[in-house]
Amino acid sequence: MAVGSAHLETSTGIDNRKLAMWLFLGSECLFFGSLIAAYLLYRGHSLTGPYPEDLVDIPFTSVSAFILLMSSVSMVLALASIQKGNVRNMQIWLATTAILGAMFIAGQAYEFTEFHHEGLSLSANLYGTTFFVLTGFHGAHVTIGVLILLSLLTYSFRGGIQKQDSLKIELAGLYWHFVDIVWIIIFTLVYLIQPQ
Amino acid sequence: MATIAAPRTSPLAESLRNARQAAEHNPILSWFATVDHKRIGVLYGVSAFIFFCIGGCEALLMRAQLAGPNANVLTNDEFNRLFTMHGTTMVFLVVMPLSNAFFNLMVPLMIGSRDVAFPRLNAFSYWTFIAGALFLNASFFTRNIFSGDLGAPDGGWFGYAPLNLRAYTPGHGMDFWMLGIQILGIASLAGGFNFIVTILNMRAPGMTLFRMPVFIWMTLVTSFLIIFAMPVIAVALFELTFDRLFGANFFNPAAGANPLLWQHMFWLFGHPEVYILILPAFGIVSEILPVFARKPLFGYPFVVFSGIAIGFMSWGVWVHHMYTTGLGTVANSAFGISTILIAVPTGVKIFNWMGTLWGGSIRFKAPMMFAIGTVAMFTIGGLSGVLHSMVPSDYQQQDTYFVVAHFHYVLFGGAIFALFAGIYYWFPKFTGKFLNERLGHINFWLMLIGFNLTFFPMHISGLLGMPRRIYTYPSDYGWNLWNLLSSIGAFTIALSVLIFIINFLWSIRKGKPASADPWDGRTLEWTIPSPPPHYNFAEIPIVHSRDDFWHRKYQEDAQGNVVPVLAGAAHAPTLSGGDGHGADHDDHGGHGIHLPSPSFMPLIAALGFPFIATGLIYDYALVPVGVTLLVVGFYGWALEPAAEEEA
Amino acid sequence: MSDLFRTIRRNAPRYVPLLLMLAIFVLLISGCTTDTPQNTFAPEGEVARKQRDLFYLAMWPAIGVMILVLGGIVLMCLRFRERDPNSRPPKQIEGNTRLELTWTIAPAILLLIVGVPMVAMIWDLGRSPDANAYVIDVDAQRYSFSFSYPDIKDPSGQPLFLPAEPHIPTGRQVAFRLHSADVIHSFWIPRLGGKLDVVPNEDNVLWLVADKPDTFHGECAEYCGLDHATMKMIVHADSPEDFQKWVDEQQAQLNATPKPTPVRSATPAATPSPVAASASPAPTPTATPQATGG
Repeated sequence: MAVGSAHLETSTGIDNRKLAMWLFLGSECLFFGSLIAAYLLYRGHSLTGPYPEDLVDIPFTSVSAFILLMSSVSMVLALASIQKGNVRNMQIWLATTAILGAMFIAGQAYEFTEFHHEGLSLSANLYGTTFFVLTGFHGAHVTIGVLILLSLLTYSFRGGIQKQDSLKIELAGLYWHFVDIVWIIIFTLVYLIQPQ
Repeated sequence: MATIAAPRTSPLAESLRNARQAAEHNPILSWFATVDHKRIGVLYGVSAFIFFCIGGCEALLMRAQLAGPNANVLTNDEFNRLFTMHGTTMVFLVVMPLSNAFFNLMVPLMIGSRDVAFPRLNAFSYWTFIAGALFLNASFFTRNIFSGDLGAPDGGWFGYAPLNLRAYTPGHGMDFWMLGIQILGIASLAGGFNFIVTILNMRAPGMTLFRMPVFIWMTLVTSFLIIFAMPVIAVALFELTFDRLFGANFFNPAAGANPLLWQHMFWLFGHPEVYILILPAFGIVSEILPVFARKPLFGYPFVVFSGIAIGFMSWGVWVHHMYTTGLGTVANSAFGISTILIAVPTGVKIFNWMGTLWGGSIRFKAPMMFAIGTVAMFTIGGLSGVLHSMVPSDYQQQDTYFVVAHFHYVLFGGAIFALFAGIYYWFPKFTGKFLNERLGHINFWLMLIGFNLTFFPMHISGLLGMPRRIYTYPSDYGWNLWNLLSSIGAFTIALSVLIFIINFLWSIRKGKPASADPWDGRTLEWTIPSPPPHYNFAEIPIVHSRDDFWHRKYQEDAQGNVVPVLAGAAHAPTLSGGDGHGADHDDHGGHGIHLPSPSFMPLIAALGFPFIATGLIYDYALVPVGVTLLVVGFYGWALEPAAEEEA
Repeated sequence: MSDLFRTIRRNAPRYVPLLLMLAIFVLLISGCTTDTPQNTFAPEGEVARKQRDLFYLAMWPAIGVMILVLGGIVLMCLRFRERDPNSRPPKQIEGNTRLELTWTIAPAILLLIVGVPMVAMIWDLGRSPDANAYVIDVDAQRYSFSFSYPDIKDPSGQPLFLPAEPHIPTGRQVAFRLHSADVIHSFWIPRLGGKLDVVPNEDNVLWLVADKPDTFHGECAEYCGLDHATMKMIVHADSPEDFQKWVDEQQAQLNATPKPTPVRSATPAATPSPVAASASPAPTPTATPQATGG
């Protein structure tokens, strides 16, 4: 955003936008940290059902977690492509990443619907409250990520992204990997480790 | 994502460009599209000052009600809404944005930069702030204000659960409160990211971290506190939003929720927030004392490191707001000790400021009076803070007027006094005129006396057992005299603010002209003309030492006396060419300096927030409108060129 | 030094406002000795007295530091005032590491010393009530406190319920078990001791001791809504004999007229919720047997 800052020396040598992205992600750590803390505080304290053990389908969620993990791989490949100046490959990998992300969102939408049919709602109990808000905010982050990827993809079709613009892909990638890592934590705490 | 330059010009881009160019030359429109950090600083400052007056009037109403026992100036309902708004306003709409005004005005000038790292993000921060502030204050009108029903929030600025739930605070006041603060948080975050990047990345050559003015250091620490504290309150407010609007159970005891979750999150944000409010003030004082004592800041590294230490320690003291909630002996002991210890770095600052005065040649100009007032009043506030850290005796003082006295000494005596000092100090830089000195002194003494008259008696009324947040009190509790004194003091403060306003309005037109360096300053902002040109520095300076400008003006002779450098030799060394903003040409008189173009996109995007918030409360149909504004704003922002091509 | 005092004398008139303020402060401080209903300086029980003594322990040094710092600032302002606007700048002193280390470390040590009695008192006052403490259940609801006596039961087993003005015995711990029916309140009787919050789902216990028979004023100290200001209570402390007499009277009345007493509010004191149990890491006794004495 700073005019032409990409070409200029900064005091630290790190591009302004990249530094800002790292700071943003640091801030996001506190955001998800607070949400996760609330989830953990209330874990196992619901007064009424449905309880997580009645609902969680670990094989299904494992698959969607795997899909999201794979999207990080394709994101890496997209960045590697544009750094080599290969716009075509970058477009392919960006599209792959966006599609994988969209599949994850679809999986989450399916899961939410299933849980809702089983009687878990935002107001049902503490589990419903903390589960939907935590995973919902994560899902919102993935959705925004997909929109950013699609915007970049569209932009690249208009010729807006060349080798020297690889920072744009890198920034999107940083965000995408962060959201991915958050999911690993959520998946572990919310799905894999169940209260006794 | 906002960095994409338009690859080709379309008719739409062409017309947008024309609109922006037209705006640049329109005296009113240009303010709505400005991305100049100095103008945004002025916008922040003026807005915050208006809210200071509003919050002050709320306080005056409350003081009128409390002037005597069993008074009937306000009803219980009105009083509760006013103290909620007074607290929220003073924290989020006054001290934070007023500090932000100084960040905006001063950071680029003091580090030798032409702008902040992200000028449009800066504009976005301001417009989001003003959107949130107006939204919050709009809550007054959610009931029929003309028949005397204030609709403002009534859950206290701390909004404790479960009182903050619909069951206990029906009406939309608290909805406006939670969504309003959420919007204001976005504004603060945007500013926080911007200033960290600006300070770390856009320093002039030679301006190493330990040559930075202390105000810049404090801005940096504050900005880090903002970006880490704001997400915590954001989550708490989101959870409250889900509870109030969508029936979630985060704070609902009936579903087994723990109401203390809110307090933990609120104060985990809230204590760093206290330092977000006071550290900029420390920075301002640390700039002013050396200039008017004509002596460097005593122990610069200690002042800087104590500021950093405060930043870290502020994360480990939040439970001292919760001593009486029954967390138990272990928690109370641990947080009692950590709270005691945070007094150490704060004390270091006070001692170092005194060391700065010692052996100085003190000039008692209005900025200096306010700065010294800050040190003195903050000392009292800090000491009563130590008294509060004594857990068992705090069981007696928690939620009494003793606390009210304490934090007003810190936040009014500390922050507001320092912000006034900053206004008197830097006013000449941005207007080319002095504020009237005589009125300034009257302003100071009236404020000092009024302030102490208002808040010192509150120590007594608190120790005599008067709780906070009560709209009335019986006449036989021994509180009458102290409350009367407080009320008289409050109106004295109002008079002093009135004098300040008169001074400001008069001086801005007829004030004594000020030179580029009217106070014999030490830092880079005094090397450029008053008011500064829009590009700040015609040539980017090269910095050789801390207090660089002073060393260009003075040197030590053989006997160790400080003598002026011979005239003419004081010419500033500068860096031609590469300047952090892409000027490729020799830039005399600012020609050839590329500055970011004005933009309406931050304003458009920021307008989305109040639409979304109003929609959530009243009618979901407004939500898509707000989202559309956001999306249009952000995409426009990303696609429009940040600066015009050289025509 | 004499030079300094001359400076002060010469400038005295200019500092009249400051001296005036100082005089007002002294006047204010002297106001604390009055005998008013909620004066925390006039304790009438063990807890309040210990808390006041701790407060004094910190307050006097704090006032000393305040006078030193403020006095120092005023003296420096007089002593180092610039007299000639055209004078040369003074010697440029950047700092003094030894001095700065001193004023970093010395306050830290002093504060930690003050911290020792503080922590000791946290544990002293934080201990569970004695086995023979007299237990009273307090129900806080917007905007009143009501009281139940588990030891005084009517024939159907319902405890004695008082909507206001409870009686307590003197010279003996009284354990108030605090229950909230709605939002957070804070239970505070200043002349008997500091406050403790009444948190929904978390049954805090506060013990207090009254030295001698008297009437005590207390009120809710946590903002709880519209009429928070008028959520007050009056507590009667009776000598053990008078208290026993009062208990007997109440018991006789309950036995004579077995009218249905209002049931205590919905808060289940006997079934602590899992949240409350897990969220309070410290030993906050929740209706434990040892707390139900006398």
